[in-house]
Amino acid sequence: MFRMSDALRYWFLVLPALAIMIVFYIWPLLGIWQISLTEPKPGVANYTEMFDSTAVQTSFILTFRIAILTTIGCLILGYIVAYVISNFARRAKPLMVALVLLPFWVSVLIRSFSWIVLLGRSGIVNDTLMATGITDSPMRLMHNEFGVVIAMIHVMLPFAVLPMMANMRGISGAYVDAARGLGAGEWTAFRQVYFPQTMPGVMSGALLVFVLSLGFYITPALLGGGRVLMISEYITYQIQEFLNWGLGSALSVALLVATAVVIAIAARFVNLRSALLERN
Amino acid sequence: MTIFKDTTDHQAKADLIEIAAHKYKEGTLTRRGFLSAMAALGALPMLGSKAMAQAKEIVVVNWGGEASEVLQEVMADTYTKETGIPVVVDGSGPSGGKIRAMVESGAVVWDLCDSGMGTAIILQEQGVIQPINYDIVDRSAVLEQAAYEYAVGNYVYSYVLCSNPKLLGGNAPQTWEDVWNVKDFPGMRTFRKSVRGMLESATMAQGVPMNEVYDVLRTEDGINAGIDKFRQLRENIIVWGSGSASQNLFLQEEVAIGNIWSTRGQLLMEQMDEGAFQMSFDGGVIAPGMWVVPKDNPAGSDEVMKFIRHAQDPQLQVEWLKKIGSGPANPAAAELVPEELKKWNPSSPENLALQIFYDDEWYGMHQVEAEEKYIDALIN
Amino acid sequence: MKTSGFRIFFMTGAWMVLAFLLLPILVVIPVSLTDTSYIGLPKESLSLQHYVAYFQDPRWLSATWTSIWIGLVVAVCATALGTAFAIGCWFLSNRASTIARWILITPILVPPVVQSLGFYRFWVTLGLIDTHVGVILAHTLLALPYVSISVFAALANLDPRIPQAARSLGASVWQTVRSVVLPAAMPGMVTGGIFAFIVSFDEIVGVLFITVRNVSTLPKKIWEGIQENIDPTIASVATMLVLLTLVATAVVIWRGREGAK
Repeated sequence: MFRMSDALRYWFLVLPALAIMIVFYIWPLLGIWQISLTEPKPGVANYTEMFDSTAVQTSFILTFRIAILTTIGCLILGYIVAYVISNFARRAKPLMVALVLLPFWVSVLIRSFSWIVLLGRSGIVNDTLMATGITDSPMRLMHNEFGVVIAMIHVMLPFAVLPMMANMRGISGAYVDAARGLGAGEWTAFRQVYFPQTMPGVMSGALLVFVLSLGFYITPALLGGGRVLMISEYITYQIQEFLNWGLGSALSVALLVATAVVIAIAARFVNLRSALLERN
Repeated sequence: MTIFKDTTDHQAKADLIEIAAHKYKEGTLTRRGFLSAMAALGALPMLGSKAMAQAKEIVVVNWGGEASEVLQEVMADTYTKETGIPVVVDGSGPSGGKIRAMVESGAVVWDLCDSGMGTAIILQEQGVIQPINYDIVDRSAVLEQAAYEYAVGNYVYSYVLCSNPKLLGGNAPQTWEDVWNVKDFPGMRTFRKSVRGMLESATMAQGVPMNEVYDVLRTEDGINAGIDKFRQLRENIIVWGSGSASQNLFLQEEVAIGNIWSTRGQLLMEQMDEGAFQMSFDGGVIAPGMWVVPKDNPAGSDEVMKFIRHAQDPQLQVEWLKKIGSGPANPAAAELVPEELKKWNPSSPENLALQIFYDDEWYGMHQVEAEEKYIDALIN
Repeated sequence: MKTSGFRIFFMTGAWMVLAFLLLPILVVIPVSLTDTSYIGLPKESLSLQHYVAYFQDPRWLSATWTSIWIGLVVAVCATALGTAFAIGCWFLSNRASTIARWILITPILVPPVVQSLGFYRFWVTLGLIDTHVGVILAHTLLALPYVSISVFAALANLDPRIPQAARSLGASVWQTVRSVVLPAAMPGMVTGGIFAFIVSFDEIVGVLFITVRNVSTLPKKIWEGIQENIDPTIASVATMLVLLTLVATAVVIWRGREGAK
């Protein structure tokens, strides 16, 4: 009796947040599902239209391709930084950590704006290249996949570095030392002893970056020149340009399902609890 | 079987608002006028009861912001001065859905709406708008292509070929065929993120004569051939999503050539250096905005028709052109356009002869299919 | 340890990546000082004209102010709700509470455009479109995951036996929460509150969907500015935000160093 009422009181603490999340977030999210089956008229027409459309297929392929490229880029660059911070950095460590975190606090919009300023036809990179005589005519750095991927790696990098750092913090140097003591070279010891131990961190970093990239909107919309049409932009395009809520909602459901599938597959390799629920 | 969809170009309308905002920033529009439009917007929720109380008031609805201010100043206030009947411009965006809902609920507060041909056809079929009374409205005072039984043109704008000769070594493309000639005219092009006004240019680029464009596009092969043109060119294409984006692409010299709205072209003419911008109506596509009148409008049919007649005044339409660059729907206005603006009036007889009229019927039948192919051609 | 090729490779690599992270952000600074009327580096001299333009434009200023106060309200709401939530879950520590925690972090995983679509349709039926309340509610929902995660992380350091002891000594649930659990949750609440403010302050996609013209936030102004892009005022806004962030970061590093001594 005493215990029961305690649990009830704890639930009173939990409920307000949980209730508004369910009523104002989860419920509207499910509403999208309903729109996709009822507008403009009841039935699965939106889904058949979606599956028949080569443009939608192309856009999905493009979305996955960009998410994969971004993830690979973030993992390689992020690993190097995480490794140095965890193993080599001494005095510079707080500075390095701060530099990793800094982009977190600067809005995605401003960072995308910076990339526009840098990569435009008469942007700073092109001006510099031409002024120094490296090229005679401006290169196309923006309004294509290259520009989008570069800017997205920049946005996503911290999401890759942080889980890897957390993972490396828990790795004892003793194994590498032992391998070195047994005569392994620095590279070999790293490859065969250290790297395998960091896989959990790498996988959670990959999951975060990949999932966030799948649904990304701002950067591709601003730097893609309309031709790097990822699914999120496709959805807004259907709704804003054609007021086509039915197809827009069906695409949203598809994107949501794709994200869920990715997470479900990742669950086999990643400890979701530590990757998502208990990250700092 | 094709379902007729609402193909009204809401964005084109919203774009006029932006241009007005820009003009306001430059000081062409007065601050007082700007504020009064804002006040009118803020007072919107009260409009309903007000409209009921004063039967003699006319509520005109367009797409909001500062464009409402221009409409208020040029058309509404002048009408009030003439007749003593107050005219209120409401910028809340008269979409087909809203008009229908209003008429069906029986609480109609709008008298006149700035709509499009696609919407007008649907609304006519649904029986929620009134026929235009051509005893009051002057049929001869509007381009014949924009005088329909249930809707009548109020202004026009065009999709036109623009280029930056400076980026092309002084060599500017003259025809759509040139636009597709990447060898002689290297550089990026910009097209709209929609087939509106674009597929027409791709069709002309294949050598199809202007007056046969829509005939060709009525065939499956015709659409595919046009789409293929974009597929060929796509490495050289940046897409514009909004009027300001198209303007910006030229300003930042990201593109050398483009198919953009004439209203934006006119702004670029002022903004860009001498010799760095050209605009040609040759092979352009001209599109009208349309007035529609909801059934059982509060001010009564005749009152609204009189206002439409008033708004046909060529002098006023020239003012409208000067303020935000949308062309007069009344052919008689052409002569009154000041010399320096004549060249840039989409509906002057010279320019009309160079262009084709935007075919709403075609869009109703084929747009959805064409859009999907268009996107695929650009991103695949 | 002597300098090896391995080490040189990693050290140079890391600094290059960090430069890649930092430099593009700093690029807005020279652009904001340009004497030209278009986006570009200063031509002949440095100029503050684009800062003047910002401070003289009531629309930029009111958008900034709107973002700040909405951010503060969101931070308060999300911290209150999220802290209560995390504390309740921490006490419960059962399967149901874990499911509740998963539900609360969904906003992190759902694509912004998809959730904004959901907001839009629901906000229309509630009449919340283009209202400050609508934006605050949406942002609070988006900020809740961050608050609950950081408060929960802070509570990981609290030994569950301490509140139990307090209870067995006769303290009520509320007394225990106030005097034992809340102090332990405090660092997480501060972090979570800051996160909540930043989430709201930077949020753009939701605002684009659920506001029309009555509500204008700073990110929305910046977004419209980038689309229009005609003047570098936006670079001056960006510079001020970047400098603010740099100063805050420097203070944190400095305090960390002091604390380490």
